[in-house]
Amino acid sequence: MIPLAVFFCVAVVAMAGAFTLLFHKHPVVASLGMACATLAVGAAYVTLHVPFLGLFQAIVYAGAVMVIVLYVIMALGGEESGPKVGRVQTVLACLAAALFFAQVYRVVRASGAGAPPSVPQSYGSIQSFGDSIVNTYAVPFEIASLLLVGAMVGAVVLSRRKWE
Amino acid sequence: MMTVGHYLVLAAFLFAIGIVGALTRRSAIVVFLSVELMLNSVNVVLLALSRFFGTLDGAVFVFFVMAVSAAEAAVGVAIVVAFIRRNGTTNIDAANLMKW
Repeated sequence: MIPLAVFFCVAVVAMAGAFTLLFHKHPVVASLGMACATLAVGAAYVTLHVPFLGLFQAIVYAGAVMVIVLYVIMALGGEESGPKVGRVQTVLACLAAALFFAQVYRVVRASGAGAPPSVPQSYGSIQSFGDSIVNTYAVPFEIASLLLVGAMVGAVVLSRRKWE
Repeated sequence: MMTVGHYLVLAAFLFAIGIVGALTRRSAIVVFLSVELMLNSVNVVLLALSRFFGTLDGAVFVFFVMAVSAAEAAVGVAIVVAFIRRNGTTNIDAANLMKW
């Protein structure tokens, strides 16, 4: 059983990264905060007994996606310019988010979700995961690979196009 | 004691921050990253409930969500780059072609 302290460390790091993304004006610092948050979410995956998904999370998000975003900011600049968002929109957005969080919190409290049941040692092992992918979910797996190829071609086409 | 509720509340918190970021920030890149943060928080919910029910199906689903969000990131960043080159700014208020 994962001790509560580990989870709270992970949660605090994730929230700190998310707040950095939300509040910091400079896009480079904001995206580094996002990288921090994704790494913490990967650590949360590890505490849920799926360590290789935590590894994927670190490689795909903190590695690939954040590097692309940092390259875009370095090459083109991502400074916020122009007028800021109106006060009404800010208040409404915060209100919507607070309502959503309060509702989820209420439901979780009411459901009384207890400790997860103990699972067999093989839970979350690469073997059982790979078995699930190539047997039960073989077709979605192939579709995902097609999707990735399509996204790659689309990204190349979009970035090579001449804009007036 | 560690419960599934902890993970669900953490995920809801990250999702709420993602909502605020996507609605109140002006930089297209930061809005994009806020959407990614929301995707991440949904992955946490899937994994926590998958662990709660003792099956691996949620983990497989998270794997697919990661593949889709990687594709989304590639295309999304290409769109942001095209947007910046066309408008000369990252301010998403410049994207007003469909506004009436």
